[in-house]
Parts: sequence; structure tokens; C-alpha cells
Amino acid sequence: MPVTLALADFDLPTRSATGYLLRWIVPRLEPVHLLSVLDRRLPFQLSAPQSDIIIGTGHGGVDVFTGQNEAVILEVGKYDPREIEGKVIKLLSCQCGVELVPDLVENGAACAMGYTDDYLWVCDADLASVPWADKEFAGKCLLPVIGGLNALLDGKTAQEALDTELAQYDCYAEIEEDELIKSCIEFNRDNAVLLGDPEARIRPRPGLLLPFRLIPPPPIVLPLRA
Amino acid sequence: MGSKDEWQRYQEALRSGDRAAAAEAFRRYQEAKRAEGKGSSKPTLVNLSTKAKAYPNAIPLDRVPEELEKNPEFFELMKRVVTKEK
Repeated sequence: MPVTLALADFDLPTRSATGYLLRWIVPRLEPVHLLSVLDRRLPFQLSAPQSDIIIGTGHGGVDVFTGQNEAVILEVGKYDPREIEGKVIKLLSCQCGVELVPDLVENGAACAMGYTDDYLWVCDADLASVPWADKEFAGKCLLPVIGGLNALLDGKTAQEALDTELAQYDCYAEIEEDELIKSCIEFNRDNAVLLGDPEARIRPRPGLLLPFRLIPPPPIVLPLRA
Repeated sequence: MGSKDEWQRYQEALRSGDRAAAAEAFRRYQEAKRAEGKGSSKPTLVNLSTKAKAYPNAIPLDRVPEELEKNPEFFELMKRVVTKEK
């Protein structure tokens, strides 16, 4: 069963978040992924019902999760429950935990994870073409998300995956000297939510083996939208 | 004065609701960081909210004070982030 991976990359925040997923999650998963221009409603509708897990990063609000250029992917009351029934869902986006995540669970998702306020972090704009190299800033918020997703892909339960993410936020916050970055880490940690069955899990995927650990992806060459 | 002290002043300004004071305090915090040799190439505060929000998705840190002054919604966001007050 494939994974539905919705990856917007049209501006600095989506490129930064997607860059981390491209580097650390995509090599573990089966193609095809909804990257960039494919990250729209119709490809999602075709892909999601066949998947056991939906992972998305893009802009969002309390009742909506969007893809490339903020095309609506999931919106409260405007999707077919078959798209999400029985699935484990993780949305790296702003405020989806307020209405959309509860709605997904009410409509049959095994469990759904999101954030109840804005998800924000500091990233280095000079590294927009190689966002996965931004370990000094972006990594401190985004690597815990990667840690949680890797736990899910290792076959851990949703609760264990969330606990992994939260524990990693704690570790990064503990050692962070920059007060702004530390505040962002703690803010994101405090807003992470898991609804639905905490024991939900998916089929484990193979780990990220050599040479993937050593060779980063090529730079992203698409220009950022003005 | 070190960056930690300046950060405390920034927190106090956010709590007091004074946007101009918060902007000035953040400027001083950044200056202190630079003085400590902790500046970077182009650090930018980013978020994943939709265009419906009144603040940009990406704000270079040197433009945060300006945004704090002119944008009440961004000020409230920073207040939630920094002071943890809902």
C-alpha cells in the first residue's frame, strides 16, 4: 500500500519543510509523491484512498490544509470520507489541529496529527535551494517532525511517534541558546496534537540505508515565487 | 547588556502590549546577538499559515521589529510564541 505524501514547495516555508521530508522521509517510501505541481486536489483524490498513511506539508488554517500555491487539498466538509478512512494522517501545517484534524477523525481516519496554532521556525533563506542543509536554524524545529515520522514508518504507534517528536523538541529546546528559536521549538511542541486511536500504526517501511544517508538530494532549482 | 537580558526586555514589552517598545527591544536583542558573534547569513522567521493571515509567511529577522510595530496580528502571534500566554 503506498503512501500519500503531499509536498508543496512554492515559497520559503514550504520549501524548507518539504526539503527536510525530501531528504529524510521520501527515500524510505514508495513513489509516486505529490511534489510541487502535483500537490493539488485531484492527484490527492486519486492517491489518498489507496494509501495507509497521509503525510502533508503546506500552508493551512483551522479548517483547511493546502498544497501547491495554496490549492485546497482537505477542507472541513469538502472531502470524501473514503479518502481518509482508516488512515494515519500527519499534517505539518498551521492550526489544522483546531477543526480539520478533529473532522478527519470524526469522518473515519484512524488517527490524525496536527498543530493547534501556527507552526513557525527560523530558517536560513540563503539555503533555499538546499533546505536540508539548514541544520543551524530550521533543523531544530523540523528534525523532531522527521523523528516522529520515522517512528511511524518504523512501525511504532501514533502515540509513540508523537512522544518521539515531543521528546526531540525537548532536547533541542534544552540546548538551544538562541531565545527566539527556543521559543519557536517550545511553541510548536505545545501545539502538537494527536486525535483518534493512539495505538494506530502502519506497515513498517525499510529504514534509510547507505548510500542515502551520505548523499543528499540535488539542489532544488525551481525559482521561488515572488 | 547580553542577549538574554535583551530577550527579557522583549518579553516584558510583549506582555505590556506596547508594539513600539517590543519592536525596539527586538532590535536591541538582535544587536546584542550580533555583538556576541551569533549572527547568520539570512535568518528568516517562517510559518505555514494561509494567505488569510495579515502577516507574511516569511519575515527576515531584521524586519521583525517593523512588522511588530505595524501589524497587530503579528504582534499577538509573537506574544503567544514568546510569553506562552494564550
